[in-house]
Amino acid sequence: MKDAVLEADDVTYAYGRKSSQVLDGLSIKISPNKKTGLLGQNGAGKSTLFNVLNALYKPASGTVLYNGQPVSYRHKSIIRMRSEVSILFQNPNDMIFKPYVGQDVAYGPENLKLPKEEVDARVDEALFAVGMESFRESPIMKLSYGQRKRVSLAGVLAMRPKVLILDEPTAGLDPQMASEVMEITEQLHSSGVTVVMSSHDSDLIYSWADEIHVLSSSKCVYSGDPVSFYSDYGAVQDAGLLLPTVFKIDKTLSGPGSISEKPCPRTRAQLTATLVGGPDREFGTLHVICVNRDDSPADLLERASVAGVKTGIYGMSARMACNRTGFHASFTYDAPDNCLANCLEGNDSVILCDPLIADKAASMAEFVKNNGLGKLDVQVHNR
Amino acid sequence: MELFRLENVTYTHNPSLPPVLENVSLSVGENVRTAVLGANGAGKTTLFYTLTGIYKPQSGEVLFKGQPVEYTKEGLRSLRSEVAVVLQNPDEQIFCSLVEEDVAFGPLNLGLDRPEVEARVAKALRDVRMTEYAGRPLQQLSGGQRKRVAIAGALAMRPKIMIMDEPTAGLDPQASMEVMELAEKLHLSGVTVMISTHDIDMIYRWAQSSIVMRHGAVEFSGDLDSFFEDREGVNRCGLQTPSVYYMNRGMSIAKGVEERPCPRNCCEFEAKYGKVRDVGTLKCIVSSEEDAASAFDDIKASHPRMPVGVYGCDVRYALRGSPVEYRYDAIDACFTQTLMGNDCALIVDPVYRTMVEAQAERMRAMGAEVSLEMVQ
Repeated sequence: MKDAVLEADDVTYAYGRKSSQVLDGLSIKISPNKKTGLLGQNGAGKSTLFNVLNALYKPASGTVLYNGQPVSYRHKSIIRMRSEVSILFQNPNDMIFKPYVGQDVAYGPENLKLPKEEVDARVDEALFAVGMESFRESPIMKLSYGQRKRVSLAGVLAMRPKVLILDEPTAGLDPQMASEVMEITEQLHSSGVTVVMSSHDSDLIYSWADEIHVLSSSKCVYSGDPVSFYSDYGAVQDAGLLLPTVFKIDKTLSGPGSISEKPCPRTRAQLTATLVGGPDREFGTLHVICVNRDDSPADLLERASVAGVKTGIYGMSARMACNRTGFHASFTYDAPDNCLANCLEGNDSVILCDPLIADKAASMAEFVKNNGLGKLDVQVHNR
Repeated sequence: MELFRLENVTYTHNPSLPPVLENVSLSVGENVRTAVLGANGAGKTTLFYTLTGIYKPQSGEVLFKGQPVEYTKEGLRSLRSEVAVVLQNPDEQIFCSLVEEDVAFGPLNLGLDRPEVEARVAKALRDVRMTEYAGRPLQQLSGGQRKRVAIAGALAMRPKIMIMDEPTAGLDPQASMEVMELAEKLHLSGVTVMISTHDIDMIYRWAQSSIVMRHGAVEFSGDLDSFFEDREGVNRCGLQTPSVYYMNRGMSIAKGVEERPCPRNCCEFEAKYGKVRDVGTLKCIVSSEEDAASAFDDIKASHPRMPVGVYGCDVRYALRGSPVEYRYDAIDACFTQTLMGNDCALIVDPVYRTMVEAQAERMRAMGAEVSLEMVQ
């Protein structure tokens, strides 16, 4: 396996000859198919780095490598690279190309010279993924900021990139939309896309990322797992950041002990499990029911004999099936964490789940059993 | 006292479109920290424009201090001399090309004399940590920096009511903390602050009251603890429960303890659920900017290992070069230290004294006998 899909090696960049270096001898390696978080305070150089990694900016010195090959900045090779590496800018107004929603989402795929049916199918799917399918014919100028943000995300999804770079994808979105965006990234990750995301929301990155990179003063000052980074409070503060809530409370309440021996909760429900759990505790059972887009969720619930139990929806095919059949779930967002919390309260729960991310949904709850925090069975159905 | 009162207010941008505000009735109390919550498109920003007289409702009444707002030049001028707004997008409220000119724009329009305007501009820029950018063109600043300039412009008006629309969106965690410190400072100096935001954790620890909007109508108003009790209501409004609220509910069910009082921040949650034996002492030093350095040196001389936190822009600025352990969110961080059995020192701007005392009181209500030693 290659050790980096995208790499910047000793890269320097400034916006003008007189301005100071925004990137100053920065080196970073983006690992293939890892959920990668990019952190740093305002002005640390995150957006500039993204533009360098996507070959929009050519660094003054240093090299950018894609799949181990230096980027040549010749027209042809840049076009090829950008068909595989997509970037979602922070401000959706920076990436609107056409007046109507459907046209705008189709713009990228059309440029890839795909047949019309393929473009249409991709536009449908991308608009559904971001919950904007009923706006296909709407003028973009009439949409709110949050809606435009989702349209621009649909535009990059329709490109089916291999590497997706997201600059503050949840900024300005309300909490439910933000958690739906996170669900989309989970889905992309499971289908083999390398997702790189910057955010100021420490809690969000901490619950999501496999690996983080921290920028400070124009350099990359940390690359590795989030837990080790946040364990050094001085470094966190110097980088302009703060501790995630879950990490902070866990550190205070779980008492002394080496980090490697203790369970390391990443979400609110996992932290609750850490605090209330014990070898003799018994919690509710979590059923993860795989739902394909043509399935009937109500029938699947009956077949699994779990009628009357609280349900959550997680993933694209499950959303499509629930939407089509008019099925109402108790938790329409952040289902893995909400259902786990419900199990911790002693109730059984069901996640109606896209098969692609069923393992992810199950593993979040298996945290309880794997860390000896009690009996919480996880059953996967209809795989 | 009631500052604003809306009665059956309906507003639409265009008669052929559905109303953006529909039959909205609400009340905003003087000096109550008020959160305005709701999904994208719920009508929060339109509500703010209605409060400041920018939008005139087609029906219903807007009362300011008991009097109906008059939509005349005079009436609006008198309303806006007391109410300042920080918009979500700072680019929408830039009036001049240079930072200091932009901040001076509002006060000059109030007809203040030059020295007074300059003093206000200098103070406002310091409060948002933008002093060294005073002579810079706004075009050269980042989004987060422009946001802070917009806040400085509102501060320089010395308003009685400060409305902030998504003040922390796009800001990094430390800059967000500074904005919330400022909001608290305004509150403590008698200004009524209203904030809309999507950051539920941040607003939950701050707000005393709330207005929750959905589809242009008021879905809930009052204490947030009651709002979050109704999970389906929260879901319907496109919101989420705050982390500490969510975990408190899980803990109270699993451990069989009372859900109330609800912790609002990390240190309160830790106070309620930590196995506290020997609580440390928090030594809170109320200091001016001039005395902060010597206060810091005194602590480090007598207790070299005691962690020190700072709260407030004046003492933080004074100690910017000193090895302070907790520069941001230090009230929470220092109380957390005491729960872990460590003594801790906190140097604060004078205005925050009552905030520290109130926090100690809240910790006691959660069951932790924290010991607070106030040094003036």
